[in-house]
Amino acid sequence: MTRDVETKVRTACPAHCGRDACGILAHVKGGQVVKVEPADFPDPKYRRICLRGLASPEITHHSERLRYPLRRVGKRGEGKFERISWNKALDTIAARFGDIADRYGWRGIGWVLGGPGSGTTKFGAYLRLASLTRSTRVSTWGYGDAALPCGSRILFGTNSPYELLTGWPDPELVIVWGSNPGETFPLARMRQLMDAKEKGSQVVVIDPRFTVTAAKADEYLGVRPGTDAALALGMMHVVFQKGLQDEDFIRRHTVGPFLVRTDNGAFLREKDVHPGGSSDYMVWDNFSSSARVASTSEVKPALTGSYRTNGIEVKPSFQLLIELAEAYPPEKAAEVTGIPAELIAKLAQKMALAQPVSIMIDMGFTRTYYGDLAMRAVGTLATVTGNIRSTPASGHRPVVLNWAPFLHADPSKPSFSRLGVLQLYDAVISGKPFPIKAVWFAFINFLNQCVNSNKIISEVFPSLEFIVVTDLFLTPTARYADIVLPVCSYLEFSDLITGPYPFLQLQQKVIEPLYESKSDVTIATELAQRLGLGDYFNMGEEGFVDRLLASGHPSVEGITVEKLKQGPALTHPPESAGSASEITFSTPSGKIEIYAEELHKFGQALPIYHEPLEAGAGAAGRNYPLTYIQGHSRFRTHSMFANTATLLELNPEPVIDIHPADAERRGISDGDLVTIFNDRGRVTLKAKVTEGIRPGVVNITEGWLFEQFREGGGNALTHDAVNPVQEAIFEPNMAMNDVAVEIVKAGE
Amino acid sequence: MENSPTVGPWIRVETVGGERKDTPAGHYPNLRMAFLPRLCMHCTHPPCIEVCPTEAIWKREDGLVLLDEGKCDGCQACVEACPYGAILYSPKTGLVEKCDLCCHRIDLGLEPFCVVCCEGQAIHFGDLDDPTSQVSKLIAAKGAFTLMPEAGTTPSIYYCPPREPRRL
Repeated sequence: MTRDVETKVRTACPAHCGRDACGILAHVKGGQVVKVEPADFPDPKYRRICLRGLASPEITHHSERLRYPLRRVGKRGEGKFERISWNKALDTIAARFGDIADRYGWRGIGWVLGGPGSGTTKFGAYLRLASLTRSTRVSTWGYGDAALPCGSRILFGTNSPYELLTGWPDPELVIVWGSNPGETFPLARMRQLMDAKEKGSQVVVIDPRFTVTAAKADEYLGVRPGTDAALALGMMHVVFQKGLQDEDFIRRHTVGPFLVRTDNGAFLREKDVHPGGSSDYMVWDNFSSSARVASTSEVKPALTGSYRTNGIEVKPSFQLLIELAEAYPPEKAAEVTGIPAELIAKLAQKMALAQPVSIMIDMGFTRTYYGDLAMRAVGTLATVTGNIRSTPASGHRPVVLNWAPFLHADPSKPSFSRLGVLQLYDAVISGKPFPIKAVWFAFINFLNQCVNSNKIISEVFPSLEFIVVTDLFLTPTARYADIVLPVCSYLEFSDLITGPYPFLQLQQKVIEPLYESKSDVTIATELAQRLGLGDYFNMGEEGFVDRLLASGHPSVEGITVEKLKQGPALTHPPESAGSASEITFSTPSGKIEIYAEELHKFGQALPIYHEPLEAGAGAAGRNYPLTYIQGHSRFRTHSMFANTATLLELNPEPVIDIHPADAERRGISDGDLVTIFNDRGRVTLKAKVTEGIRPGVVNITEGWLFEQFREGGGNALTHDAVNPVQEAIFEPNMAMNDVAVEIVKAGE
Repeated sequence: MENSPTVGPWIRVETVGGERKDTPAGHYPNLRMAFLPRLCMHCTHPPCIEVCPTEAIWKREDGLVLLDEGKCDGCQACVEACPYGAILYSPKTGLVEKCDLCCHRIDLGLEPFCVVCCEGQAIHFGDLDDPTSQVSKLIAAKGAFTLMPEAGTTPSIYYCPPREPRRL
């Protein structure tokens, strides 16, 4: 009987874990996906899967999946909806968008597109629509991720510094800093870490929590949240004091030797010294004891000292870095970070002397208000110890796709306006920098996951005239929608998956969309037709994939949908880097900018340390003495999989991790119901008393749904403060790990 | 899920550290935590086989200890007898179930599913009677141990202890 026949389809799981995209072999029987297993790759080391990937069929076949479009009938948040047809839903959306555009311009409509993970065209379809209508793309980099690229752009000229800092084949030392690959992105790194350890690498983990990854460390450094820049500066202090910095590397690849004017913080330029001169950077040449143009050969640039030229006092920027680090002897860094001075000194020395050192970083330490400075400080430490790995692309992804048709669909007209998700709050509430009156949410459970949920409910949503939510389930966000649209799970549509590097994969449709769900490309296409833009959407999913692949770049030569149907395609490596002297970075100087003159006006030309906004000894600290952080759990990907039965069996309910000393002081025992609170809100849930967290810090892993708490939700406590420097660099970030709270037994 | 258990996973991970799951032993920041997957030991001298009144459990030539659901009457004598708590009674079926080392996969030349999926690549499968197999080499190189040797079961599952930390 055909219904008993089991077929297998190879696809890929995009989840939300960026470049981890696993190959999936889906088993289908009777129209149901009955099982998934990790699919093969030409190289077996890429064959992997995680708890969430394994639970994929449970999402697709979940009894609570949204089956058809809904229109709100009650008040927003009540969750009262009536079923409507797709025609009705899309007609309504087109009409409402048009009406709002008449009064506020199309800019007043915001497309809030969350994380597509490694998916592409599903995201691109909405970008294309935003571009053609010239509405606003609301970027969700700021949903916890933006500070890392803010810092990395300044220092390295790339959003993505990972390969610069890690990937050494046989590191002597691996430092895992603000990263927990044992549970969360980048998961594939856990195997790399275990392999390195097996081969003899020493592993150090820096984290406020003793995570699964920390349990594998040779040395664990329990850092106070938000103080990582001070730790990096403390380590730099030791490196400089002992003269262990890699001067050759600093001279060749950084702005270290470039002279900075102490009067205005700008780099000295040739024209400052010679009238009619160029804008070339200058160095102090020890041979001639004069300031010379940096690119002059046969100069021996000074890295330290103070000089005068043409009446201007100047110092090499590396000298300024040394002076900054002077203020952070290990004892001072210990006082700030909570890590013993001796350990800071030992790690600094080891990092400078070990050959090579791999630094695995991720977002953990950048989700604080000054997270971009932390990124710069850690990156600068890696730089001055010569632990930056030169890559052909200097951190930029080597695979180049054709994003133009999605980012700028009609080159003869302007494209979308851009706002960051943290800037959305003001745009909606006060109309600054311009009013947003309608939003379309895709790939994001905004209310559950973004900061200051009570403010979203009381101020953001009421100021929006129209809210559309696309999702698989009636999430807390969907309950506030005016129209809810049921989307497909990844097993029900095709897309291009950009990973794992060096592969591209096809996320290949395994079963037909269930119920009335539609893929994002289909939804965008049908809406486009109603907006008179149907001609731009006449290619379907596979057509979009081929369009995206058609960049003409050598990295993707010969790769098409048809080829990908046969299995993962190997992208073509870029030409070799040549010698290490040829690295260039996409910074203004082409070098690693350990000194960034454009940030001098903010007092942040150097990677300085600032006490965290709330999570420190400041004013908030007194009323709310505990620091609240939100680690990421292996049982969910954000709020995805929070409703999966098999994972809930292993991990049934939210808990707050609290150290025994903090618990005892408050009369809290393990398993007690507790309420944590600050001026913004309250959350009630069970306490888990554990030694595995820094005293003074409490943790609730993010992604639990509102309804899974006794009261409130994880983001009732977080703030929406915007860091203006991050805003100037790229995009401001939500600082989920920079929050002050207090905790009491529930009912008190 | 592989194998379709009705009453819970056939391999369960125990935290070796604090009292609760995912909590360490020691005092912050001097902490220790390890993980121990527990499953059927596929013993050389299985106590479950000795007590089973219906001969529903048998040991295969290649060492797997397997359960024939057709012969199981749900008496749970094996559940009592197993010192490792590896056998689970299912109220849903009225029978017992346990890890079968994915014999349906092994018989096709594939590895057990837990081996394939383990994120840390911590689980290895192979021939204990072959001194050149990867598992034999790992056991010898790392001084692997079995659980509850005093029970006299001679398990087929070996555990390699974590490497001693190399402090800075």
